[in-house]
Amino acid sequence: MDILRSVYQVAGFIVLISLGVAVLEGYFYYHFKYYARSWFFPAALTVFPLLALAGYYGVTWEHPLRVWAYFVAAEALVCAAFRNIVKGRNTLPYLLLAPAFVGLALLLVYPFMFEVYLSFHDLKLTTIMMWKNTGHIPFVGLRQYWNVFTTSPLSEVSFWALVGRTLVWTFSNVFFHVLGGFALALLLNNSIRFKGVYRTLLVIPWAMPQVVAVLAMRGEFHATNGFVNIVLGRIAAAFPFLAHLGVGPVQWLSDYPLLTCTIINVWLGIPFMMVVILGGLQSISSSYYDAADIDGASYFQKLRYITVPLIRPVLMPALTLGTVWTFNNINVIYLVTGQAGGTEQADILVSALYKAAFTYNRYSYSAAFAIVVFAMLFFISVFYLHGFDAAKDER
Amino acid sequence: MASVEFKGIVKRFKDNTVLNGVDVDIKDHEFVVIVGPSGCGKTTLLRMLAGLEEVTDGEILIDALRVNELHPSKRQIAMVFQDYALYPHMTVEENMSFALRLKRTGRSEIEARVQEAAGILQLQKLLKRMPKQLSGGQRQRVAIGRAIVRNPKVFLFDEPLSNLDAKLREEMRVEIAKLYQRLNATIIYVTHDQVEAMTLAGRIVVMNKGIVQQVGSPIEVYRKPANLFVAGFIGSPTMNFFSGQLRSEGDRLLFVNENMKLPIPSFLLHDGDRHAGREVVVGVRPDDVLVGRDGAECSGKMEAVLEVCELLGHRENLYLKLGGLRLLATVEAFFDRSPGSAVTLCFNYRNMHVFDAATERRISE
Repeated sequence: MDILRSVYQVAGFIVLISLGVAVLEGYFYYHFKYYARSWFFPAALTVFPLLALAGYYGVTWEHPLRVWAYFVAAEALVCAAFRNIVKGRNTLPYLLLAPAFVGLALLLVYPFMFEVYLSFHDLKLTTIMMWKNTGHIPFVGLRQYWNVFTTSPLSEVSFWALVGRTLVWTFSNVFFHVLGGFALALLLNNSIRFKGVYRTLLVIPWAMPQVVAVLAMRGEFHATNGFVNIVLGRIAAAFPFLAHLGVGPVQWLSDYPLLTCTIINVWLGIPFMMVVILGGLQSISSSYYDAADIDGASYFQKLRYITVPLIRPVLMPALTLGTVWTFNNINVIYLVTGQAGGTEQADILVSALYKAAFTYNRYSYSAAFAIVVFAMLFFISVFYLHGFDAAKDER
Repeated sequence: MASVEFKGIVKRFKDNTVLNGVDVDIKDHEFVVIVGPSGCGKTTLLRMLAGLEEVTDGEILIDALRVNELHPSKRQIAMVFQDYALYPHMTVEENMSFALRLKRTGRSEIEARVQEAAGILQLQKLLKRMPKQLSGGQRQRVAIGRAIVRNPKVFLFDEPLSNLDAKLREEMRVEIAKLYQRLNATIIYVTHDQVEAMTLAGRIVVMNKGIVQQVGSPIEVYRKPANLFVAGFIGSPTMNFFSGQLRSEGDRLLFVNENMKLPIPSFLLHDGDRHAGREVVVGVRPDDVLVGRDGAECSGKMEAVLEVCELLGHRENLYLKLGGLRLLATVEAFFDRSPGSAVTLCFNYRNMHVFDAATERRISE
């Protein structure tokens, strides 16, 4: 019977969401239909806040005047937006898109604003009850941002060490993603048999849920039962001179956690680059290669002078995305090393951020930290996109 | 400069035979145009000479040297591609000097050769531009310049004008003709446009379905087409064809079908009796259908009905109906008759062609 209850709950939730969208759509419908009439704005300012207040009354009846004032202000904002933004004939597309915009605003804009708010205040384990009881937390100005650069988010590693480690992590990962993806794409771009089969197999790490893929790989790096160490042990047993050189089983997860994470993440990230670069390669007209053949270019010269310049326009956006994803990649680090009591040797900025917020409960500090990370990524993206525009101009 | 020889060239893509025994001999300094409809294998033949396609069977010789296994860059050829294939990320100058830079030629020599080629093609002002900043005709000239810079033994042109509009195509055609006079090189030029073939070629190679149909000077190919395909392909508007039978009547040979009865003079087919009873196709170019006037070597008069007139300016196309047959005549402009009126016509014997209906080969002189 539990399953029936789950189905019932899910169905109820779907109905609730549909009702919400319907109400929203009806609300926008009247705005779109009548916003050009002179009587509409006074009417809307009276009717909609009162209706909303009635809805609010169904929940609680605290500070009715203040809540009403909020509703009127919101309505005034919507009306002003309609007067200034919605123009011309294309009102229907706006009407149909409006619920999605509201959803985006709730899911993206509101949390971001709240994060900015938090970063200027002091919410932590010792002030959270005060916030709950009074609705107030102390305002601290820029002190949280100062703390980001001067104190450590974790117990052992400093902020600047984390920055350095994150840059090394990002660079090495993206480098091997592109290298591996490029090599595989070049192989797949030849006319070989079973190309579709190879392509499917190579894309699997990317298509699998990351949690499953990472946990499976983590098992393979287990000290005694993992595939990697078993192979290393066999090699060392079969070739004693290699064992003398130091080849043998390694405590991957405790001695080299960042290296392990890097290997796993390279394996996960290569397929994306391969697919993107393969697309780029296939868009290069074969007549360039014919011309280069006649001009006397060797294989590597063709690669250097034809292929690489011509896939730059597709490579640059992929590189931007890859950099941002790797920089932000908490999944691999957390799943491999991050469970309670795990090491800090593999932490990068975002995984340290996660720990600062949810292990050490420094909420406002983490909010400021997140904004600093966001700013870094923003500048990296601008830098890449600039390069991308330059590449596009060359075409 | 060099001679080129194709010996029994065969090209197969799996079970699909594209070229079936091509033998062509191209002399030094010759401008040869390979012409044929799309899919006849002409571009494949050129790409095999360039080394971009494997040769299934046969031999390609450049200057009596077998080049089948030679890398494209070692064959001392240069190719101008249909889509120009200018490297989009290099300037005009870099495009033209790419081959020389790969060979590590000295900077001063590269400079001199690029300047020389740019001078020939009037590209001096465009050297610093990117290909996408050029018009179609300019790109075409850069592609030719890139070929000239390499100083090759043989120039290969693969439908170089087909991406240009009609006016530009005419201009570039004249440019290429001038270029040939100036370079005096061996040029092999592939096209499907018979006008380009007629105007540019020293010799034309007509191909169809992977087989060489006829090799000859433009005027030979035009005046004495070797078979029905060549007769129909070369010349615009297309030749009129009538199928029928040859009959011997007294000492005269007659061409007979349901709608016409033509005496065939002995200078077209001697030993008339030998041909009697043969199924044939007679071909007459629209220019040689004489409407409403007499020629020196005119066939018997025939009555036809004018269906449609097309005024081209100095000439006029007349679509005529002769019994159940339709035919096209081209006459001097201002043929002042309205559609539906009856006209008399005759064929100019001098330029009439007779082909065997079964073998499609030319049997007239």
